[in-house]
Amino acid sequence: MANKGNLLLEIEDLRIEAYADEKWFEIVHGVDLTLRRGEVMGLIGESGAGKSTIGLAAMGFARDGCRISGGSVEFDGLELTTTSEADRRRLRGSRIAYVAQSAAASFNPAHKLIDQHTESPVHYRIRKRMESQEDAMELYQRLRLPTPREIGFRYPHQVSGGQLQRAMTAMAMSCRPDMIIFDEPTTALDVTTQIEVLAAIRDIVNQFNTAAIYITHDLAVVAQMADVIKVLLKGDEVEEADTESMLKNPKEDYTKSLWAVRSFQRSQKQRPGDGVPVVEVANLDASYGPVKVLDDISFDIHAGMTVAVVGESGSGKSTAARCITGLLPPTGGTIRFKGQELPPSYLNRSKDQLRQAQMIYQMADTALNPKIRIGNIIGRPAEFYGGLKGTNLKNRVDELLDMIELDPSKFYARYPPELSGGQKQRVGIARALAADPTFIICDEVTSALDQLVAEGILKLLDRLQKDLDLAYMFITHDLATVRSIADEVVVMKQGKVVEQGPKDVMFKPPHHPYTDLLLSSVPEMDPNWLSTLLEERGVDNIGEAASS
Amino acid sequence: MNYFVIIYYALLIGGSCLAAHYKKREIFLLLFSLTLASFVMGIVGRESALWAVSIGAGLLALAAGIAYSFREFLIIISGPLTARALRTAPLTAAFGMFVIFTYAVLGIFAPIIAPYGEAEVISQSFAPADENMLLGADQLGRDMFSRLVYGARNTVGLALMATAIAFVIGALLGMIAAVKQGWFDQIMGRLIDVVMSIPSLIFALLLLSIFGTNMIILVIIIGIIYSPRVYRLTRAVAGNVVVMDYIEAAKLRGEGMWYLIRKEILPNSTSPLIAEFGLEFCFVFLLVAGLSFLGLGIQPPTADWGSMVRENATLISFGEITPLIPAAAIAMLTVAVNMVVDWMLHRTSGLKE
Repeated sequence: MANKGNLLLEIEDLRIEAYADEKWFEIVHGVDLTLRRGEVMGLIGESGAGKSTIGLAAMGFARDGCRISGGSVEFDGLELTTTSEADRRRLRGSRIAYVAQSAAASFNPAHKLIDQHTESPVHYRIRKRMESQEDAMELYQRLRLPTPREIGFRYPHQVSGGQLQRAMTAMAMSCRPDMIIFDEPTTALDVTTQIEVLAAIRDIVNQFNTAAIYITHDLAVVAQMADVIKVLLKGDEVEEADTESMLKNPKEDYTKSLWAVRSFQRSQKQRPGDGVPVVEVANLDASYGPVKVLDDISFDIHAGMTVAVVGESGSGKSTAARCITGLLPPTGGTIRFKGQELPPSYLNRSKDQLRQAQMIYQMADTALNPKIRIGNIIGRPAEFYGGLKGTNLKNRVDELLDMIELDPSKFYARYPPELSGGQKQRVGIARALAADPTFIICDEVTSALDQLVAEGILKLLDRLQKDLDLAYMFITHDLATVRSIADEVVVMKQGKVVEQGPKDVMFKPPHHPYTDLLLSSVPEMDPNWLSTLLEERGVDNIGEAASS
Repeated sequence: MNYFVIIYYALLIGGSCLAAHYKKREIFLLLFSLTLASFVMGIVGRESALWAVSIGAGLLALAAGIAYSFREFLIIISGPLTARALRTAPLTAAFGMFVIFTYAVLGIFAPIIAPYGEAEVISQSFAPADENMLLGADQLGRDMFSRLVYGARNTVGLALMATAIAFVIGALLGMIAAVKQGWFDQIMGRLIDVVMSIPSLIFALLLLSIFGTNMIILVIIIGIIYSPRVYRLTRAVAGNVVVMDYIEAAKLRGEGMWYLIRKEILPNSTSPLIAEFGLEFCFVFLLVAGLSFLGLGIQPPTADWGSMVRENATLISFGEITPLIPAAAIAMLTVAVNMVVDWMLHRTSGLKE
């Protein structure tokens, strides 16, 4: 690409320490990084790899409880580790900008978007207030936000997540910085929204020839965005290469393992000939107050099978799960469990009905009580439903911990905050299994996890299904997950079932237009995927011509 | 100029120079501003003013020393987890703990420590201090020191019981309201609003004049008057806990309300509740003292700090400090408890990060 000129950022032997248990631990062990003007570097790695920490250090910033203990960070000739805080503050916002993962949490809910946008240019006296507002509207237009002249006068809660993320990118651009740090800007978004944000970010970065550090754990995303990719593992650099060669022939084993993640796939099962389905949802309607969120939903789940329910956020897939568990009594329709009709509210269901249907949550952090030991969390359902006590209970918990591949002698007495994300999710699974259920609802169980960890969880769920003949209802927005473990797929949109059927049929054309949109929005490893897709969809792609 | 004054200034100036040399900014500023202030005080108040400053500094240093040693002592005798928490305690909190510890010892071993009984008349009224009576006698000729020691037991014990009752009632209702929600929550909320809208001292006076001033009734009434504040806090804290997924999981399991409260909600709301306990204890303590001062609290001849202040109040006009001693005992405990609570509040808010 054009204008890849002189050096902008040079990080040498960067070391960062974090304070824990009254000691300083090194979490970044001497990383080098160079970024030229107009270049986009992708930083990838699992959580704990130090991606975000390095991203922040590029602004000369260390989080609370962290400190930069060694090495140098030179931004355009200025050494950031030794300059005064006041100088660094002047750089941030005006010459270096930062786009955080959750735009919803980063905007101040009490101010209009455009007022927050104009804050830094006015503060740094780069532009007058009115000029800056004009500029904001122009940026909104370039980022393809709807009604660019009006949208800025809304409050953050009045626009959607994808729009907010784009508004945040516009805000980062407000002072025309030399460098922007994107910290997982699309991780919290649906695939369909993600495309819009990715395209917008790429265009605007190209147009203004801004350098960027793009932090993500999604390889396919980074392949679209970055010129150069750097792979990190536990605070160390694994390898660095330009995107093309990194994708074609990764050198290190760790990089190869990252690439291989998406390969897990199990054979698809067919419905048993006659048997009564475990769960039979028929003509289900539900509403939150006057708002109807489920409209005539019907699907069946058979024993030993996985039914994936997919759709964007707001499509009603989690609400369907809440109806089945009885947390939200439906306004119409029936739910049958092994042919027997279930009472609408969980309060009226028998202990045995409650036992048979269990749930695994998306956020393992909030799904496990932080003040109860792992052994007791898992033991409680066994004690509650099975009446196990003393040694019997202990043996059952040990058996369950073995099943989820955690060492009972190590984990029995620990508390949830002492566990990693993947381990917590495993404990969540064990708690569901402890009730000895026949049906488990998995609500986005892997979406908060890294790919490698998520893969482990999927394999575990698959093995348990084979061993215990469980039926899963798998709620997800990630089609890669669906591809790997589903037997049947239900596609939902705005509270309605758009299409359903066995997986092989669903993934083969012809599709319903919405299914097609979902499928084509899943990022692929091909670096040209985004450009090709945008051309196909006929989105006018400003700036693409200028850069290529 | 005598040796004392010379040594006084020499120490201060030498100390400031050392601090400046080793770049201890705060210490230098403190010492040097004290030096400058001493110049003025020395000229205005002569040598005695400087003596007062030295004694004050000495007492402060002594308190700091006690606090420091007490903290180290606690760290050594406690388990590893508590020790780690204690290391974060500032000296003020350690001093607070030391004071509370002293009061507890006084209260528990009152009959052994006190030289005379609390109702024992041993001398004339308002007799001055002598070798028998450390702090002199009160208006009936009873030993002031003995009554002070017994007062620790009565006043603090009563306040502790009343706070405990307030917490049991308030926390239990608060958690039930958070779990049940709906009409129960609404009715409780409005009821609590009504109780809170009546000034506590006046409400206590009213109830006490209806039911009489029995010790048990006193404890129950104070407990009930203070429970709304606990209720509100618990309701808010538990309200944040009940929306978590683990509560949903427990509800779907079919768990009863009692299990939810005991095992799931209570362990996750203890730290703000403990901090609130300390604060609430101070208020209850002051209310008990206030009621005693008005003659509706603990009844004579039982020793109690509030009534001791009132009974000896006449001595103030004679320039005696005797009535101020029980008042100081009240103030000291309140300040000490607040120092400890401040530290705990700081810790709990810090842990949320």
